[in-house]
Amino acid sequence: MSIATTVHGEHPAEHYPGGLLRWLTTTNHKDIGTMYLLFSLVMFFVGGLMILLVRAELFQPGLQLMKPEFFNQLIGVHALVMIFAALMPAATGFANWMIPLMIGAPDMALPRLNNWGFWLLPPAATLLTLPFVLALFGVGDGAIATGWTFYAPLSVQGGLGVDFAILAVHILGISSIMGSINIIVTIFNMRAPGMTMMKLPLFAWGWLITAFLLIATLPVLAGAVTMLLTDRHFGTHFFDAAGGGDPILFQHLFWFFGHPEVYILLLPVWGLMPHVLATFSRKPTYGYTAQVYGFIAIGLLSVIVWAHHFFTVGMPVPALIYFMFSTMAISVPLAVLFFCWIATMWKGSMTFETPMLFAVGFIVLFGIAGLTGLVLADVAADAQYHHSYFVVAHFHYALFAGGIMGVMTGVYYWLPKWTGHMYSERLGKLHFWLTVVSFNLTFIPQFFLGLAGMPRRIPDYALQFAEFNAISTVGAFILGISQLLFAWNIWSCVRGGPKAEARAWEGAEGLEWELSSPPPHHSWETQPVVK
Amino acid sequence: MTESFSAEDLARRRAASRRLGWAIGLAVLALYILGFFIKR
Amino acid sequence: MLDAVDLEAEKPRGPRLRGLLTLAALASGPAGAEIRFNFPEPVTPIARETLAIHNEFMLIITVLFVAVFAIMIYSMIRHRKSVGHEPVKFSGPRGAAQWFWALVPFAILLFIDFVLMGIPAVKAIVEMEDTKTRADMVLKVTGMQWKWQYEYPDSGIRFVSTMSTPRDQITNAEAKGEHYLLEVDNPVVLPVNKKVRILLTSTDVIHTWWVPQFGVKRDAIPGFLRETWVKIEKPGTYRGQCAELCGKDHGFMPVVVHAVPEPEYLAWVEQQKAAAQAAASGADRAWSRDELMAAGQDVYSKQCVACHQPNGQGLPPAFPPLAGSKVVGTPLLAPDGRAVKDSHVDRVLNGKPGTAMMAYRNTLSDVELAAVITYERNSFGNTLGDMIQPAQIKALRQEAKQ
Repeated sequence: MSIATTVHGEHPAEHYPGGLLRWLTTTNHKDIGTMYLLFSLVMFFVGGLMILLVRAELFQPGLQLMKPEFFNQLIGVHALVMIFAALMPAATGFANWMIPLMIGAPDMALPRLNNWGFWLLPPAATLLTLPFVLALFGVGDGAIATGWTFYAPLSVQGGLGVDFAILAVHILGISSIMGSINIIVTIFNMRAPGMTMMKLPLFAWGWLITAFLLIATLPVLAGAVTMLLTDRHFGTHFFDAAGGGDPILFQHLFWFFGHPEVYILLLPVWGLMPHVLATFSRKPTYGYTAQVYGFIAIGLLSVIVWAHHFFTVGMPVPALIYFMFSTMAISVPLAVLFFCWIATMWKGSMTFETPMLFAVGFIVLFGIAGLTGLVLADVAADAQYHHSYFVVAHFHYALFAGGIMGVMTGVYYWLPKWTGHMYSERLGKLHFWLTVVSFNLTFIPQFFLGLAGMPRRIPDYALQFAEFNAISTVGAFILGISQLLFAWNIWSCVRGGPKAEARAWEGAEGLEWELSSPPPHHSWETQPVVK
Repeated sequence: MTESFSAEDLARRRAASRRLGWAIGLAVLALYILGFFIKR
Repeated sequence: MLDAVDLEAEKPRGPRLRGLLTLAALASGPAGAEIRFNFPEPVTPIARETLAIHNEFMLIITVLFVAVFAIMIYSMIRHRKSVGHEPVKFSGPRGAAQWFWALVPFAILLFIDFVLMGIPAVKAIVEMEDTKTRADMVLKVTGMQWKWQYEYPDSGIRFVSTMSTPRDQITNAEAKGEHYLLEVDNPVVLPVNKKVRILLTSTDVIHTWWVPQFGVKRDAIPGFLRETWVKIEKPGTYRGQCAELCGKDHGFMPVVVHAVPEPEYLAWVEQQKAAAQAAASGADRAWSRDELMAAGQDVYSKQCVACHQPNGQGLPPAFPPLAGSKVVGTPLLAPDGRAVKDSHVDRVLNGKPGTAMMAYRNTLSDVELAAVITYERNSFGNTLGDMIQPAQIKALRQEAKQ
């Protein structure tokens, strides 16, 4: 079989098998993108359910619903699921769907690799959650209970859940690396004539930097967890001081991956924001070049700041000062992005459809994440914030308001393009307001909890923390239930709705809006030329 | 905007992609293996 | 081992007042605002500095937030289609004036980052990390699942501090006390206005020693020593918790520090030394089995119960059961009076490397060790019927020293 035929087929629409086999064997970027997005949506609810159990336990002081062991499993698996199985696949789904459309390519450059990359995800997610099920049948003591960070020696001590998680992380890593390779080579080799790198849509630029970060850091994570595995089972002492190792080495390796991971999750979102803002402001993107260099600068800085995640382990003063200032330096390129986003809106002709609402909500709430991140960088104040609920609130502003609300922006923005139907604007707006209000209701109290001295990852707490925890739990449940609206809106949009035009939004610019909604099974049968 | 993708052009682009893909993949593997020689 | 009762009686008013304030806050809202929305009252130079820095930073980021989003919201109100605003077409700064205004925010930001925030931060870091200059005394803190051991190398005092909140309060079977989860059997006692250098380590996994009112938080890492310092300026009882996830009872290993005036501290030291003396002399007399069982139950309920459980069933696989255990079933001592490798006595004294089972030789007295070993051999359905005398433990210790 030749790849050229699939792309070049004379009767493209008849070229694929029907039913389940179509999805198992598909090499079509749109089919794979759809599968990524659906998988992500499902896992978003799985991870959400876990944290609702946690919040229910934390509703009142005392142990009500579960043992601390199970609590510890839930918080760690919640994070791993949300990061690796919800956010990352959502971004990859966007990339699969949109990058070929945006750069005028007929498909991703390596379609079979693409298929493989996706189909590694369901087994990995199964491995991650399987220990919960096994424990029900009396096998092992449940899932990984170390938090998502795997810190040795706690993870060396842990049960079989840790081994399952290590295996799952390896598979997820391989999947992400294959996805990244595909995106890099597609962007480098498949662009339409005339589309120079500096004409590349910002979404593709954001993903390109993400892909490079994944390639640079995932092998390090894989190495770290492999060392953990050999420490657990094969008598090595990478992280055991008694054998000449060092538990802190694990934290260095983990966060060398872990900090760039934050930008891996966020860069695709930062890439899509200018598209949405420009569309609904009916105005060209402000500062395209500045944003490209902003992405690159953030990518480079992100790999040299990792140790700010563990200032409390005790480091030499010069190291503390270096990591503090390098972290603060990230605020500069990040401020460039904020400046460009607001300047894009400035003197436009704005309308506030659901994607624009989410984009604005994203900017404001992600602003809180950025600003609290700036104070967290300060070592002295960090001694108080660290390991406390202040940090929990901070990174949920970054990863829920920044990551997930960013993904929701993209979903609402592109749903008409993907399905050919308009979603319900009324439901979308309701979803937005419920999400924003309940999100803040959940996480603003957590800032105060952290300042008052509540450590994170505790199943029970002192009485002085009771009120804020109760408020936070109420917020979390509203937040969780509101997301059903999101799923319902997507479902009804897939099923039907008003017909979407090729250019679904009045102010939308770019190659992707030249193709019909939904696009033909094979995008860009004829090659577009960018002038 | 009407020119069709030519088979040769596509084949060339995909071959270049495969080469680059392998190169990146090998770099990843090298990075991974190198990791085991990290000493504190 | 440690008598904290009289200290409890003389507890300063501070915390109680705070408790009242919290109650008032519950009733009336803003009354307790100061406590509930910011750091607790600082009592060390570092904590004061940290609070000042935090307040300054919060002010800075609030101003930034308001300024930036005021501009955005202004734009969202004025530049919308529904009010008929026509979009302009610029996509970047044009001309010197626009470039100037585009660059000004970044100059401000750099100034904020590296001057306004950076300089006080560096100053605070240098002070925070200076643990050695003019230190008056040393406190060694050892984290272990899930309790803290405190050692005063100057006076040879050593004890373990575990949470004293009853299980029934946690399971909601009885009303929760005022200091629910933040109370211990043996609090650390420190003199006020003395620079205390704190050395931290751990026997198993990473723990983090944190008392919010001291403004310091430092990890206790197995196999390494880390350090920090406090100089408490106000007598009182200060409470904190382990801050690094360290296993199942991570939420149940509080830190409680009594800060007292120096004369009181010195009296406490003497009292501790006398108690240790008494305990040591207890090792020389012969103990009856009932005495050992009673003392052993007490030790077990503090030191062993978290892992091996009240019924001795443990939590396998990480924490093996003692009931019917093969290790417990080994003979007490070899015929020549020496400890047998991997026997019950050996395991309690020397721990098992690579697991959570720590070496209790470093933590418990001869009497406590003899008592708990005897207790374990004759409880949970174990009926070995034998007992070990404190004097025998003492002999084993001396033998190990030679």
